[in-house]
Amino acid sequence: MDVDRLADYSRVCGYRLGSTLPPTYPHVLAFPQQLALMTDPAFPFGTAGLVHIGNALTVHRPLPVDRSLALTVSVGPVSAHHRGAQVELVTEVRQDDTIAWESTSTYLSRGASAPGGATVAGKEPVDGPTPPPMPTATWRVPADIGRRYAKVSGDFNPIHLHPLTARAFGFPGAIAHGMWVKAHALAALEGRLPESYRVDVAFRKPLTIPGTVRFSAVAADRGWDLGVWPGSGERAHLLGTVRPT
Amino acid sequence: MASTVRRAAILGGNRIPFARTNGPYARASNQDMLTATLDGLVARFGLQGERVGEVAAGAVLKHSRDYNLTREAVLGSALSPWTPAYDVQQACGTGLETAILVANKIALRQLESGVAAGVDSASDAPIAVGEDLRQVLLELNRARSPKARLAALARLRPSALRPEIPRNGEPRTGLSMGEHAASTAVQWQISREAQDELTMASHRHLAAAYDSGFFDELVTPYLGLSRDQNLRPDSSMESLARLKPVFGTRLGDGTQATMTAGNSTPLSDGASAVLLASADWAAQHNLPVQAYLVDAETAAVDYVHGEEGLLMAPAYAVPRLLARNGLALQDFDFYEIHEAFASTVLATLAAWEDPEFCKQRLGLDGPLGAIDRDRLNVNGSSLAAGHPFAATGGRIVATLARLLKEKGSGRGLISICAAGGQGVVAILEAA
Repeated sequence: MDVDRLADYSRVCGYRLGSTLPPTYPHVLAFPQQLALMTDPAFPFGTAGLVHIGNALTVHRPLPVDRSLALTVSVGPVSAHHRGAQVELVTEVRQDDTIAWESTSTYLSRGASAPGGATVAGKEPVDGPTPPPMPTATWRVPADIGRRYAKVSGDFNPIHLHPLTARAFGFPGAIAHGMWVKAHALAALEGRLPESYRVDVAFRKPLTIPGTVRFSAVAADRGWDLGVWPGSGERAHLLGTVRPT
Repeated sequence: MASTVRRAAILGGNRIPFARTNGPYARASNQDMLTATLDGLVARFGLQGERVGEVAAGAVLKHSRDYNLTREAVLGSALSPWTPAYDVQQACGTGLETAILVANKIALRQLESGVAAGVDSASDAPIAVGEDLRQVLLELNRARSPKARLAALARLRPSALRPEIPRNGEPRTGLSMGEHAASTAVQWQISREAQDELTMASHRHLAAAYDSGFFDELVTPYLGLSRDQNLRPDSSMESLARLKPVFGTRLGDGTQATMTAGNSTPLSDGASAVLLASADWAAQHNLPVQAYLVDAETAAVDYVHGEEGLLMAPAYAVPRLLARNGLALQDFDFYEIHEAFASTVLATLAAWEDPEFCKQRLGLDGPLGAIDRDRLNVNGSSLAAGHPFAATGGRIVATLARLLKEKGSGRGLISICAAGGQGVVAILEAA
């Protein structure tokens, strides 16, 4: 394990440098493979403009820093979405021949259509509580967080790097990586996460940077209900749950 | 208020292997290491979600933003977030002092359980802005008009931008700890050979203790390290003799410098923690008592004007502790004398054997006498393990408690010297 890289990642996200890997770290380790799949001609959509709309990861057991792990990345089926079509990227981490960690990232291709003319798959996830719960913490998200997270994750999507490059893709300004927001939320739960658990989040309204946002974690079902909201307003940036497995 | 004083029990400890500075823990902060160490202790003793009475810990090299380092580590650990914590700083005595503080509160029935810990990183050291720049920045902050701000900035000189890195030196003498120790070594005529012998013994003892599994219940691997990085099991008199002296080379008057990088502790990174409790609490939690912390003493010497060596305070603390407990220096099965430098241990032992020192400096009738050297640092000490300042006390307390548990009876003496001319010593007894 490259401890320098792990330390850089941990610092940017707010994690401690501990004996086990941060729950979102395998996602970063798998990023080159994910990118290779997404840029493969066989991938159903073009990568430009693809939006990361959700990620569900399961930590089956803590991953020790000093043990090697085997990564597998695969593409799931394409399905319909309210605003186009979506595809799932599945990542698995094996240690000692059993699955120790897995993650499913959902990407939306706006305006695309699913094969067979299928319409909306499932329903759009429900909105979070209104009004949002009392914030657990206020985060001041710096303007360079997109560039800093890009360096430690390898995800140099231009929508995160600079207001100008973000505007070229129709965003009002640079936006934070969804996986950074998720990582920062889990870092805020340091010491409060179960031994094995599933974290299911939806990335909703893009978080324009710099920005001041409200984070809330409400204890629920031996886990947490998570939310990240703008400084004012009720449309969440991130909604999710942590549940023991 | 309860009127009876009881003994505080030591239930065990946990530490991460100690690393050399800028080694495997170069990127780990004090809070990272302390949290990992507390979590290791929690895992060993089944303390998940437990609200212990308090956690006392500290670091010698500490950034000012880490004023609540211990509480922050507790909040990030698997201990209950309802566990109070505070920071302690007494140079290299920090770790043992935290154990004494927690033990005293348990003895006075103010606590049923507590954790004493310490951490230090010489790699992730706090770097401060120089005093000139700090003054300019403070004035800038006070300035209310653009003119006043400009005036403040005009005082800025390029030389002010030089950062201030913490030094291992005494503010009042300008000498490093090694230079102080070198003077003491000359004063007590501590030979290079004796220092190297003690160093070799430390490495061999620590290696043997690892090989025997002694540390399986005391050390939790961290960032790829499972044994203390400084440990050289194949240390020999020949290899140690080849090292060039690094301290005491400018003492003059024809004396031979004797202190090398081998017989001095290296700058280190690491953390340690000890679990203490009342015997009742231990029984309720089905945790066996390894040893009791019986008594402790601290001393300080005037190393600035008082013609005493910087690291000689334990030589004064121990006789006071012995007298209060009606014990002789020979009444111990184990001696844990922190090896800041091999010469420090040897000078302390020499002082206790010296009738003149014991009479004139300690006010005793005769010398404390020699100790059985086979009982000294039997499982190695700081020369081999390394010395992350505030983490050394916890390493020693947990090691000695376990030695006493394995022996099943007996008594051990801990002696730790510290910067500022201080010394912290304590007595442990088997359960």
